[in-house]
Amino acid sequence: MVEPNYLIIMNKNQIELRLLPKYFKKIAFGIMLATLCFILLFVSEIITTDKEVTKTISKSLFLISLLILSMTKNKIEDELTLVIRLKAFAASFIFGVLIVIIDPFINLLFEGAFLLNKGVTELLISMLLVYFSMVFIMKRNR
Amino acid sequence: MKNTIRIERAIKDLTQEALANEIGVSRQTINSIEKNRYIPSTLLALKISEVFEKNVNEIFKLEEND
Repeated sequence: MVEPNYLIIMNKNQIELRLLPKYFKKIAFGIMLATLCFILLFVSEIITTDKEVTKTISKSLFLISLLILSMTKNKIEDELTLVIRLKAFAASFIFGVLIVIIDPFINLLFEGAFLLNKGVTELLISMLLVYFSMVFIMKRNR
Repeated sequence: MKNTIRIERAIKDLTQEALANEIGVSRQTINSIEKNRYIPSTLLALKISEVFEKNVNEIFKLEEND
């Protein structure tokens, strides 16, 4: 069938997310495992570094691995999984904002007994964990 | 919005999995569309209509409150 020339080619980018290839999942789990090994080596005193440096390195590595995992393609990626991803990202963002708002009040009320987040890295890690839980719940209920 | 995908599938003797493979989505997506939990994009609706050799508005119908 010959298509009339007044037809406009529509941009499909709107319903696509630029995600990392599937093999990045292995890289992310590798980084996670390396972080765990690093922590274990530090705890067993095989490597002797400053506690704060170890904490910072392990937290950053864990955050990087979670970020890579969240941005990696799954086995099947279609428009429904895209919607789920976007909804989960929105939910984790709202969670992050709420934590920042609520945290000082909880600290005031309980005099620091419940420290919800101690820093930006922890907040980002918890946001990504919320993202993964939301994706899991929404995928199960789709 | 309502759709007749389940009926069309039965006529063509297609499983959800077979239809999903044909249009390049997951079986769960077809299930969600059939159960009205998800409204597909124009692109997906056109692909579905192509499989069933029918017009889009023969498969997807607007309801009064849409």
